[in-house]
Amino acid sequence: MTETKDADVRFLMGNEAIGRGAIEAGCSVAAAYPGTPSSEILESLVRWKKELNHPIYVEWSINEKVAFEVAYGASLAGARSLAAMKMVGLNVASDPYLSAAYLGVRGGLVVAVADDPGPHSSQTEQDSRFFAWFAKTPVLDPGTPAEALRMTLRAFEISEKYEVPALLRPCLRVCHARQNVPISAPLPIAGVGPFKKDWTRWAAIPKFRLILHRKLNEKLSEMVRAEPECRPRLISEASGGPVAIITSGSVSSHVRDVAASDERLAQVDVYKVDMPYPVDAAALQEIVDSHEKTLFVEETYPVLELHVQDRRKVLGRMTGHVPPQGELLPDLVEDIMLSGLGAPTVAKPAPQIKARRPSLCPGCPHRPAFYTIKKVFEHAIYSGDIGCYTLGVNMGVVDTCLCMGASIGMAGGLARAPQGQSEHPVVATIGDSTFFHAGIPALINAVHTKAPFVLVIMDNAVTAMTGGQPTPANDYLADGSPGVGVDMEKLIQGCGVESIEVVDPYDHQALQETLERARRHTFDDGKGVSVVIARRPCVRMPNVEMPEERYEIGEECDLCMSCTRDLECPAFQYIKDDKQMVIDEDLCAGCGFCVQVCPSQAIKAKGSAHA
Amino acid sequence: MLEMILCGRGGQGIVFLTRMIGQILIAKGLDVLSSETHGMAVRGGSINSHLRVGPFHSPLVRESHADVLVSLDPGETANNIHFLKPDGLVVENSPLPDDPRTRRVDATRLARDAGRAQLENVVMLGFVSALGLLPVSADEIKARLAQDPRERVRALNLKALEAGVAAAS
Repeated sequence: MTETKDADVRFLMGNEAIGRGAIEAGCSVAAAYPGTPSSEILESLVRWKKELNHPIYVEWSINEKVAFEVAYGASLAGARSLAAMKMVGLNVASDPYLSAAYLGVRGGLVVAVADDPGPHSSQTEQDSRFFAWFAKTPVLDPGTPAEALRMTLRAFEISEKYEVPALLRPCLRVCHARQNVPISAPLPIAGVGPFKKDWTRWAAIPKFRLILHRKLNEKLSEMVRAEPECRPRLISEASGGPVAIITSGSVSSHVRDVAASDERLAQVDVYKVDMPYPVDAAALQEIVDSHEKTLFVEETYPVLELHVQDRRKVLGRMTGHVPPQGELLPDLVEDIMLSGLGAPTVAKPAPQIKARRPSLCPGCPHRPAFYTIKKVFEHAIYSGDIGCYTLGVNMGVVDTCLCMGASIGMAGGLARAPQGQSEHPVVATIGDSTFFHAGIPALINAVHTKAPFVLVIMDNAVTAMTGGQPTPANDYLADGSPGVGVDMEKLIQGCGVESIEVVDPYDHQALQETLERARRHTFDDGKGVSVVIARRPCVRMPNVEMPEERYEIGEECDLCMSCTRDLECPAFQYIKDDKQMVIDEDLCAGCGFCVQVCPSQAIKAKGSAHA
Repeated sequence: MLEMILCGRGGQGIVFLTRMIGQILIAKGLDVLSSETHGMAVRGGSINSHLRVGPFHSPLVRESHADVLVSLDPGETANNIHFLKPDGLVVENSPLPDDPRTRRVDATRLARDAGRAQLENVVMLGFVSALGLLPVSADEIKARLAQDPRERVRALNLKALEAGVAAAS
């Protein structure tokens, strides 16, 4: 260990605090798949590993199911282990997760699942506390980054004590908040001794599953009896007033600050539940019974509220006092609390926000790929997927976006429906990381069933949207140590695809010709799915050198707007007053693709003579 | 106590700026909470950071509670103005002149003069700190930037900070 001080205070993001908590708990195996708002958990573990010269094993797994299974395997073999993912990742990992709840664990196993009420960067607003209830596993729900660190340590203890996976559920406002967080010296690598063979447990047949289910129920009852986190705790002064609020997680921090800032709320008893499942339902009922009104403020599902049997004096989501969707931001929390009290709320005008939409970066290799796909497959249905390249929607080249890998699975169905197949060929687009994550079985299915669509894999060599984490094709691992890069072409060949071509998306002509060949193979010759790999590294990666060349727009420009509409490059700016299109040199990445495709050939390298 | 919003476009270094201010403040023993924007929005979309110094639990500034709104892109000021107190101050990256509620500095131009347009966040930091809007002085920020081990980054940052400080006087 190179750390000199035992204790310190750091300005940590919630996700970094969770990583730190795992290190302090003696965790020795961590696996994750990146996804906002969870990605920094494993990234911080990589940094702590280096800073402390800590022996923890860290990996970016191919998907969340495998990440969970790696962590679960390590737990059975005796190690404290962590799996991290965003909440929709838990859907992917749900199969092993629910089964693991029955079988139980050996070394403490914590699954950190980041929720995204809003949603800001996700498909759903699902509540992982509800998932924990569904799976019958304990869940800790931190309200701040500092609490996230403490709860990570507790989650390991609880998991190991009851031999059950423990979920840690930070919301985005904890994950991406920063705070001064006290840190302590890490415990030595913890463990419960090597794997012990016991097929009645680790390979249980249904007969034993019934026994394991009973045992799980007993564990949950024992937790409620023994663990203080299952009971609501008062986080305000005991007021003796007629109204109580019960809250949990990141929204509890908004509740606290709002209550402290308004005298009318001084007479409210505010309770927080650190472990919303399994919760001491009798203690919740007691609070409800001893107050005239009890308001439940929780995000995003009524998990605590539904644990109250007699809800006649309860206000919350079930009564419509808390909106059934959307993030509970502090101003909304204030309104909910005041109206719960029966106090008047001041109607504030809704802020006038014209948010700038995100775009593919200047120089992004996905832009020329989308541009050319649209040109070659003019009236196609564009089956899209999850990643930076979902932004192809801005260019009108992404028509669907369901979940990781669905571009390929759905393409099989889009191409299968008898309505208008011939007028609307199907083209699927997917990134390299998403392809590895969930696209491979769908591609095998497409080959096997002779599904007629073209698949374009937009290979930028990293998981770009979440910050550039390595994919299985990279020959290095999460911590930079050497790994084996999986050959994507061989893999696709192994899936049985006959037509595979690799092309540089910056080369407009080659890209167009390649896509035309794929079109002939799949649609004209009816030979089934063809795959085009549009390969060029993400421009945001530190080792990617972009050309110094800059461009300007000549008099040939007839303001057709193709550069802003079809290319959708942020470097182009239309100056209304001058009726002129210009290139912002600070934004331009120098890729020069616009020069190749400008309909008026008006874009020239700077300094070159005008025609 | 201080509540502040920093806003701009993804890619302008808002997260870096918020983090650095927070780190300096906690080194002074203050309680700090901040909230960052990550994910899809950082690809050139509208982003903001919240910064709260004092006895808070939530990282988010409520409407009409911010003392200062620092805007790296004048197009984003209106999207965040609802956070500002009625007597709060806007500090904006813009070549236009000041008005009673807004102090302006052409941080993009000063950054380009200092070597790179991407330094506009550091110019802004120099300007804001020289206006006395942070519980930390320009000199303390300078000391922090001087710790950067990368020589070229260090030199550029210090130059940009100085340019921001000078613009405030």
